[in-house]
Amino acid sequence: MVLRPPASALKFDLVTKCATTKARAATLHLPHGPVQLPMFMPVATQASLKGLTPKQLEDTSCRLCLNNTYHLGLKPGQQTLDAIGGAHKLQSWPHNILTDSGGFQMVSLLKLAQVTEEGVRFLSPHDGTPMLLTPEHSISLQNSIGSDIIMQLDDVIATTSPDHARIKEAMHRSIRWLDRCIAAHRNPSTQNLFCIIQGGLDLDLRAECTQQMVARDTPGIAIGGLSGGEAKDLYCKVVHTCTSLLPDLKPRYVMGVGYPEDILVSVALGADMFDCVWPTRTARFGNAITGTGTFNLRHAAYANDFRPVEEGCNCTCCRPESEGGLGITRAYIHHVAAKETAGAHLLSMHNVHHLLDLMRGAREAIVEQRYPAFLVDYFHGMYAGDKERYPGWAVDALRGVGVDLLAD
Amino acid sequence: MFNIIKSTPQSLGPRLGRLCLPGRKAIETPHYLGVTSRGVVPHITQDTFRRDAGINGVYVPLEDFIERAPQKIPPIYEFSPPDGSSPLRRFIALPEETVLVLGARRTPPVLAPAANPNTNTSISVCTAVGFRTLKAEDYAKAAEHLQPDIVVGLGDIPYGRALGSKRIEKATDRQIQWMQDHVALRNSNGKTKGRSKLFAPLSLVSCANQRFYMDCLTEQLGELVSGLAFYNLAPLEDLPAALHSLSRLAFTEPSTPHDILQQISMGIDVFTIPFISAATDAGIALDFTLPAPQITPPDHEHVAPRTLGIDMWLAAHAIDLSPLTKGCKCYACTKHHRAYIQHLLLAKEMLGWILLQIHNHHVLDLFFAGIRQSIALDVFDSERRRFEEVYNAHLPEKTGQGPRVRGYQFKSEGPGEAKKNKAAFTMLDDGKEKIAEARQEDVEVVVDGKGGEGGGSPAA
Repeated sequence: MVLRPPASALKFDLVTKCATTKARAATLHLPHGPVQLPMFMPVATQASLKGLTPKQLEDTSCRLCLNNTYHLGLKPGQQTLDAIGGAHKLQSWPHNILTDSGGFQMVSLLKLAQVTEEGVRFLSPHDGTPMLLTPEHSISLQNSIGSDIIMQLDDVIATTSPDHARIKEAMHRSIRWLDRCIAAHRNPSTQNLFCIIQGGLDLDLRAECTQQMVARDTPGIAIGGLSGGEAKDLYCKVVHTCTSLLPDLKPRYVMGVGYPEDILVSVALGADMFDCVWPTRTARFGNAITGTGTFNLRHAAYANDFRPVEEGCNCTCCRPESEGGLGITRAYIHHVAAKETAGAHLLSMHNVHHLLDLMRGAREAIVEQRYPAFLVDYFHGMYAGDKERYPGWAVDALRGVGVDLLAD
Repeated sequence: MFNIIKSTPQSLGPRLGRLCLPGRKAIETPHYLGVTSRGVVPHITQDTFRRDAGINGVYVPLEDFIERAPQKIPPIYEFSPPDGSSPLRRFIALPEETVLVLGARRTPPVLAPAANPNTNTSISVCTAVGFRTLKAEDYAKAAEHLQPDIVVGLGDIPYGRALGSKRIEKATDRQIQWMQDHVALRNSNGKTKGRSKLFAPLSLVSCANQRFYMDCLTEQLGELVSGLAFYNLAPLEDLPAALHSLSRLAFTEPSTPHDILQQISMGIDVFTIPFISAATDAGIALDFTLPAPQITPPDHEHVAPRTLGIDMWLAAHAIDLSPLTKGCKCYACTKHHRAYIQHLLLAKEMLGWILLQIHNHHVLDLFFAGIRQSIALDVFDSERRRFEEVYNAHLPEKTGQGPRVRGYQFKSEGPGEAKKNKAAFTMLDDGKEKIAEARQEDVEVVVDGKGGEGGGSPAA
């Protein structure tokens, strides 16, 4: 363990704790301004949120977005980032940026990566060149990127892996790599390093990892390795186990979670921050996220549907022209989806706004001590009141924190 | 509707005008219309259009909206905004102040297969589901329903084909018939308030060669036609004086600013300019002004001509924090820099083309403002000559890859064609070997910027 005075570039103000569930409302003060927790963070993988200008992203009320270290390390590359002066300058984004370490791409992109104690060896997907990503190099890249929150390099393996020994090894290695990351971090007073709890779906490993990492006293804590296709009830148990062992006064980030109901349940389990590419990716396939489900507007049924994408939605795309919006109809999205990129951009704006707005609503409910009712309403709206269709994992997980979705 | 502010004494020459349409911002001419695809200027969403683009008018082709007509009624024909405003304008969320011009075909259009030509009652149009016929009657009806500000009458334009004298005669006959029918339809509708202005398309030959159509326009239709649409410059050469007061809209596909200047010198008022989007897709930031910058060669040495655009794919821009063009006031130049745009192109991020598209339209806005100024000051001819001396005659070659090519951008040549869009990534089959090699050699290779070298091709 590295003996260094813990440094932090954030201030965490806990505003309210839900009296029933483990949900919390907080304000997180970061180097590029405050953000309200719980929150969703859209993913601008390569320093651009798929087709949206930074102004449009601002319009969705986003104040913290993600960049991917792995991608920025490939393009534009560290030298360029240093020369330009970091990712904020590169993309002219005046608000906060969080970067992941590149670890997740090991499971998501690189089937052929090899992990050793030194780091991860893999081939560039662009030209096949062999590369080595070490904890030191990951932090060095993130220092060059200058993101407000940086993540440790962790040893990520799919939670669904049957190899328990490998999961255990990965957990311990992630702790060792955290120490190397802390030691390598050059800007602790301007960039917040978050640890990432690993341990697969084994709750004992998760608990051990949590204790070890909490002892390192990083400014924030992430729960990693999830959202990789594991059963949702197991996912909930991991989050529940970890948050129970975490200090109250630090932000908790569950990585890669983006479906609205997953987020809302995780908030009830005590998590604060979420990210996912799903809202923007699904937009490119013509899917609109709404409070009553996700709809593919490329379906012929929408060709003559002249209602807004989501009725009552306040995003730039849906808001009527008389209220300063565009008054875009489902029929128009149907008309352009997959034929002009602008269709994807319009839906991305809507989808990102939808998730940010959902989080705003959740936060208000927590502050006003009505989060359980908010959850009940949300599931009621999503499944049109048909309790038979409520996902069992969500019902169980919420019952565990005192909310009965099925009660009359 | 169209006022000529200044014209040259000779019959054809550059002229200043103002296009005023009810409820819209007036367009000072010469100017250009943004060319749309499926209701948007490519890459630019409607909110960015309002906020960050200065485009005063757009051209919308009907063929983008009528996929399965007439078997299935196109959705847009069934759309009636509650306030009775233009269904087309509302559908594509075009701002109130922007002039909306409707025509039948895109510019440039995809050429119809030889077996699918125009007939006496219809033309071939390219829809998202292939070539279809559009009846003249249906076009006129659609145009009246959609209520654009300007509707270009259906033209029998044999794109990409040479015209024999028989074919010219036929085109003239059709043109007369279609215009008369369209006007008759408008008259039978009765209402005149808020009705679009009708522009008459001219055939691709001199006016003498389409004399009966000219007679029809001057004598019969007179007041009912508000402007002329040109598909080449041939009819301009002997345009009857009676038609001189009409505004002139060009679908002439200029390929360089030099072409634009030449066409202005012949009296074109409003352009559609496909090369703007083409440059954007090629990753080229346009960079030309009128008046052309003053160049004082040291000791009268030969100065190489300036390029008309900057290839943003070049590695030289990788750490360049300067705007695309110095002093440019567009959104891309005031908020972003070359390094970012180069990164976006290399990373194939869609924002790169959005920013270039905003910039390139802004360059054209300024170019046309400069043209109007030069006409007002009677220096158009000399400025045009100087422009031709200072600048290259062609836009720079495309070096990088553009965005995905769409069906409406190329003509299918039959079976067995190569894929138009390359797969972004391919599987690395020999990956394991390479990793093993790397371990043996144990070279210190780290994640590092490969960006500046342009995209390498993935190992097959």
